Amino acid sequence: MTPVYRPPRETDFARFPASTPIVIDNGASTFRIGWAGEAEPRLAFRNIVQRPRHRSSGETVTVIGDADPALMKYFDCTRTSIRSPFDDDVVFQFEYMEYILDYGFDRLGATSEVDHPILMTECECNPSFSRARMSELLFETYGVPSVAFGIDDAFSYKYNQKLGNCGEDGLAISCEFGTCHVVPFLKGQPVLGACCRTNVGGSHITDFLRQLLSLKYPYHAASVSWDKAEELKKEHCYVAHDYMSELQIFKNNKEEAEEKTRYWQLPWVPPPKDEPPSEEELARKAAIKEKSGQRLRDMAAAKRSQKIEGLEKKLSELEDIMEQLDDSDEIEETAILSRTGYLSQQEVKSDILKVTQSLRKAKGESNGNEENADASGADKYPLVSVPDEMLTPEQLKEKKKQILLKTTTEGRIRAKQRRAEEAALREKQEEERRTENPELYFDELRARYLELSEKVDQRKRQKVNGNNNSSGAVGRGERLNAAQKERMRLLTTAAFDRGKGEDTFGMRDEDWLVYNKMSKENEEDNDGDDDESELARIASKIQEVDPTFVNQHEAAEPAADPHKVRPLTAEDFKIAIGTERFRCPEVLFQPGMIGVDQAGIDEMVSISLRRLVEDESVKERLCQSILVTGGSSLFPGMIPRLEAGIRQFRPYLTPLKLVRASDPILDAWRGAAAFAASREFARQTFTLEDYREHGESLFHRYNIVYTL
Amino acid sequence: MESEVQRAEMLLAPTMAFKKVQMADKYPKGQSRGRQWKHLRFLLQAADATSLPPDRPNYLNIQSPPSIYPPKRYCDVTGFEAPYVDPRTKLRYADPEVFKQIRNLPDEYVQRYLALRNAAVVLR
Repeated sequence: MTPVYRPPRETDFARFPASTPIVIDNGASTFRIGWAGEAEPRLAFRNIVQRPRHRSSGETVTVIGDADPALMKYFDCTRTSIRSPFDDDVVFQFEYMEYILDYGFDRLGATSEVDHPILMTECECNPSFSRARMSELLFETYGVPSVAFGIDDAFSYKYNQKLGNCGEDGLAISCEFGTCHVVPFLKGQPVLGACCRTNVGGSHITDFLRQLLSLKYPYHAASVSWDKAEELKKEHCYVAHDYMSELQIFKNNKEEAEEKTRYWQLPWVPPPKDEPPSEEELARKAAIKEKSGQRLRDMAAAKRSQKIEGLEKKLSELEDIMEQLDDSDEIEETAILSRTGYLSQQEVKSDILKVTQSLRKAKGESNGNEENADASGADKYPLVSVPDEMLTPEQLKEKKKQILLKTTTEGRIRAKQRRAEEAALREKQEEERRTENPELYFDELRARYLELSEKVDQRKRQKVNGNNNSSGAVGRGERLNAAQKERMRLLTTAAFDRGKGEDTFGMRDEDWLVYNKMSKENEEDNDGDDDESELARIASKIQEVDPTFVNQHEAAEPAADPHKVRPLTAEDFKIAIGTERFRCPEVLFQPGMIGVDQAGIDEMVSISLRRLVEDESVKERLCQSILVTGGSSLFPGMIPRLEAGIRQFRPYLTPLKLVRASDPILDAWRGAAAFAASREFARQTFTLEDYREHGESLFHRYNIVYTL
Repeated sequence: MESEVQRAEMLLAPTMAFKKVQMADKYPKGQSRGRQWKHLRFLLQAADATSLPPDRPNYLNIQSPPSIYPPKRYCDVTGFEAPYVDPRTKLRYADPEVFKQIRNLPDEYVQRYLALRNAAVVLR
């Protein structure tokens, strides 16, 4: 169904005689206007005003009710918001009210004047201030001959009484847009002294839903507009029969909760996928790469040959000099040397050596020095095997050094061998255990694997964020990892520990280990490496037995990258409406949920009955004719919940009957239209003269008598 | 004005033949409208309360009193029953998972959650 934004202008305004009243149901959400005696209002629109600026001309215009969003692009709404003449259920913004009435009368087809009596609905106990301003507006601006005000809930009740839904004595529970009312009726008239009002209504439900959804999905907050929330509310919300047990379902019973959850898929276009490049593309890219590589190689080769050329030239020059030097005597020598800029023959020689070396290098031959560097171990320590008597004191010193070096290297080799032997032995033992009891062995392996992986993980975590304090402060202390912190602590305690009693440091050998911890190089401990290699070994062993086994350590590595952005999917654009479906309408029963410290609608019935100064028999009669009306009473499950709620406040086994109004939204207007068509209506109105005579005090006592 | 806007008749005409006083005369352009209406509701309620005898029904005294039931506490985030209150954010929460979540919430969201039940810190 496409909404009709602009209702057509009615054309039969002139057809009605001046005595036919115009009936207006001035509801906080919807404004309905029509003719007395008709079955339906001629016109209904949302009771809101927008005053945006026209983009091209810059003038401020007025838009009433809902507007076609496609046309709103011509207007700049940034500096205005949607305005309503209402606060809760009282009209108090008469400038906006005037725009709305303008529009209502205009659409109804008024041309020269609005010369009809007006029946307008209002809330229970409308403040006289509001009545006075409203009648002033109607009399002075529109020239209306006479006006009557009536309560919308009373009209709705009377209309349903006429239809036989409820009796002469009864109660009306009305859940409206801004408020909820309970009004008792005695002999067909509302007892205003006993009615009560809670300032929670449909607008609060919508707002609560909107806020909850935008808090739950901050990225989609812009999508959850007021209108959308209103739509979701009307479509999906329901009243839970027992709120606590309904919550338990959602908390404990995942399947049933899933069944009850509705999803709203926001429009989402999957991002274009990166297709793997075609063969041609790959070939082309490879060719380009090859080409540029070739060019670089060519350049390098040219450079090298140039260098070789230069070096060869220099070498031949130097050789020439050497030859000359060799052939000549001393005097000539100095002359040659001074000419070439060398100091001695030695220098020339060393230069030649240098040049030949770099030439070799340039030509790609291996350097001669490298070969020498790899001397065999035997002649590394030449002095070790020489008896002491044959050595000078210096050589003795050298010998001591060499012996030390030798023993350490040999020790290292021995340790290596021992380790290898141990490993082999362990391997053998394991093999034996494996053949003995393969299952036990496998379990043991797994247990060991888990233990080790836990240890390694923890170490890693400590390394990465030794202190994950939630304060998020980033002082120097926060940036260090746990090991570094420990080191700092040790250093500071060591520095300030002097003079505190007897110094026992060094009494035990373990004390010296503190330096191990303090030294910086020790930061990456070999312990961890051992563990890791052990872990890898065990993992490979398990994998031998169980090919399905996945080494978590290797598998977890790539996923740990925190900067990788997960591509968005349609799932991310899905809005789940679960508990919100019944949590939002619940505010009618528990206004405390949104911070309104008043009784809920079920309790209001008991309050109303308490305020009614009547016998218990009368109250019992009232409870057999309870009418539920108003737009917010349309939630599924409303009537059973209300019934259960009211029963709690009534004596045990007293009869209770609740009826939903035939049309909770339109009945108020229909009842008013029927009332305005009756002959009684003319006696209930007041004119401009009456108003001038009595002023505002007229309204203190003004209450119409409702007739069928 | 664009032709489609005209055709849709979406704008209210500035003058109406059936009105005795036009909008522009009542609220002249550029003149301050008097923004006292923000507190009008309170003024009006005060006026009603003093000028009317207290035994007669008026807009103020037909309000419902607070509920006789002790108010139930619900988790501000999930809506479940909330046995706990976070002393730092003052949010109510149902279980440790929600607690983790609320501890990571930015302050703006904490205040918005609190505002839902009218408990936000209002700086005046």
